[in-house]
Amino acid sequence: MAEYGADSGGRVKGVTIVKPLIYGNIARYFGKKREEDGHTHQWTVYVKPFKNEDMSAYVKKINFKLHDSYPNCNRVITKPPYEVTETGWGEFEVVIKIYFNDPNERPVTLYHLLKLFQSETDIMLGKKSLVVEFYDELVFQDPTVMMQNILQSLRPISMGSYKHETDCK
Amino acid sequence: MEAGGGSDVRDILELDQGAKFMTKDALLNDNKKKPIRKSDISFKRPEGMHRELWGLLWTDNKDAPPLIPTDTNQGYKQMKAKIGISKVRPWKWMPFSNPARKDGAVFHHWRRLADEGKDYPFARFNKAVDTPTYSDLEYQQHLHDDNWTRQETDHLFDLCKKFDLRFVIMHDRWDREKYSNRSVEDMKERYYGICGILTKVRAPQGTEPKIWAFDAEHERKRKLQMTKLFERTQEKIEEEDLLIAELKKIELRKKEREKKTQDLQKLITAADSNIDSKKADKRQTKKKIHLQQKFKEVVNPDQSGIKFADFKASGVSLRSQRMKLPASIGQKKMKAIEQVLEELGIEFNPMPTEEVVSIFNELRQDIVLLYELKSALANCDYETETLRHRLETVAPGKSSTIEGLSSLSSLPETPVTPTETTPMLVTPNMTPESPNSQKKLAEAIDVIGSAPGTPNRKRKAALEQRDILKKITKKV
Repeated sequence: MAEYGADSGGRVKGVTIVKPLIYGNIARYFGKKREEDGHTHQWTVYVKPFKNEDMSAYVKKINFKLHDSYPNCNRVITKPPYEVTETGWGEFEVVIKIYFNDPNERPVTLYHLLKLFQSETDIMLGKKSLVVEFYDELVFQDPTVMMQNILQSLRPISMGSYKHETDCK
Repeated sequence: MEAGGGSDVRDILELDQGAKFMTKDALLNDNKKKPIRKSDISFKRPEGMHRELWGLLWTDNKDAPPLIPTDTNQGYKQMKAKIGISKVRPWKWMPFSNPARKDGAVFHHWRRLADEGKDYPFARFNKAVDTPTYSDLEYQQHLHDDNWTRQETDHLFDLCKKFDLRFVIMHDRWDREKYSNRSVEDMKERYYGICGILTKVRAPQGTEPKIWAFDAEHERKRKLQMTKLFERTQEKIEEEDLLIAELKKIELRKKEREKKTQDLQKLITAADSNIDSKKADKRQTKKKIHLQQKFKEVVNPDQSGIKFADFKASGVSLRSQRMKLPASIGQKKMKAIEQVLEELGIEFNPMPTEEVVSIFNELRQDIVLLYELKSALANCDYETETLRHRLETVAPGKSSTIEGLSSLSSLPETPVTPTETTPMLVTPNMTPESPNSQKKLAEAIDVIGSAPGTPNRKRKAALEQRDILKKITKKV
């Protein structure tokens, strides 16, 4: 935080920067109910940039609020990949809160209904993992000079092609 | 010793009280504290409270009674007249003369002995009115009136003096044998006219005296009006009430109609502006470069449909937030939107890119506009129907020339054709030109009976809503 300082410059009026992102979860059926805790699925809930860009430049942390029954249900992720992997037996709403490096920006909240079950039998058999993800856009209206600089000079996360589970195009 | 204070003592001692009489004050309450009997009780019995009651309150353990001492000396005591303590003031049958009478007649009445010889107290209420008098010269110079002879005027002033300007009595006593009949207003007019002239004439040079104004014409009209009002028959009164009620109804209906016309006008302008903007859009759609500008124009205009929250404030927000319907939209419109979206095969929460959000919002605005237009149409239809029924009862056989509104304005003409605005979102089998899809769309929203109005109608609307839902589920 220190590197940006409290005085990170005034907002740049009339500038809008859009950062598309993908959020959702994948889930895999064990094929049976686990003996020790009754869990049936392993799942991963995640937030990732739509483009091949390093989100951590402008994202300070992402908070995944899981169901109360999970130990330590507030999972804070400070660097990519922003994801939480757990096992369970039920679906619930995950509250995803994105905090930004710029102290002037208030956090943004996404709501994702964790999906585990699908009627198709092949998924029930654990052959294919289930993917439920959504597209959304972060709209930075009148960002500060500092934020504008960061947003406009993002580095790619990985070399080579960057692909998603779902084709959003 | 003070007056009345020691009456007990004097009574006991049988002292002569002389000519001292009870006054009203002394009778009601002597305003003096009775000597307090010393006792070991520290809490005083409130003045006037009965001893028996006090005894009930007072218990052996000597704790304080549940009473709060007050500083009013009235206490529990009622205003009681103490009668029979002193001697009565004597009355006497005595003669008296009323100074207000000029004949000096003597009458008798009962009076306090003490008041003997005093003036009759009610004489002062006898007020005499100052009526002006005029000399022959004054009359000739100023007071001449073609309508009134001198004798008649004299007679009038004579009566004025005699009856202290009680014009109704004067009217009664008017000498009809000598003079023509005069109304109260005629008399007043003449009298006040003369008074005015005299004060004007007699006023010292340079001063502007105040003059009684009497508008005889107005007074005559007023009395005529009053007479008419008084002489109405019961039937007329009833008729008048009926007419007033009818008038109120008409005014109410007029207001309602005006409001409706206004609403309708708003809708029509909204629809018109929609067409215009769409025509302009068509030219532009080919050039996708202008898209950005177009959105800004289209989303902003003040449409009657939905007011989406605008995200002009600085800061980060999610694009999907801009698709959120405002809470103010209401259940019926929400339902209409859902119905049309379902009909069109568009998901309720499409992928929120800038373009999609913009078009999606526009589409839903159009849907709401369509809904509003349809309900307005249904309303008008309903009204035409009722009016036609009324016409039929009033003038049978003439109604056949009037047609229903819906048959005049067939729906394909409606400006709202969401298929045109949303080429991306529409499923491929729904081409914009297909009249089928348009008809379907219009049918998707069913607004009959959903007109805002009587609760009865609302209930009907609710029932209809259920029917629509059934229809839709059947289709699906």
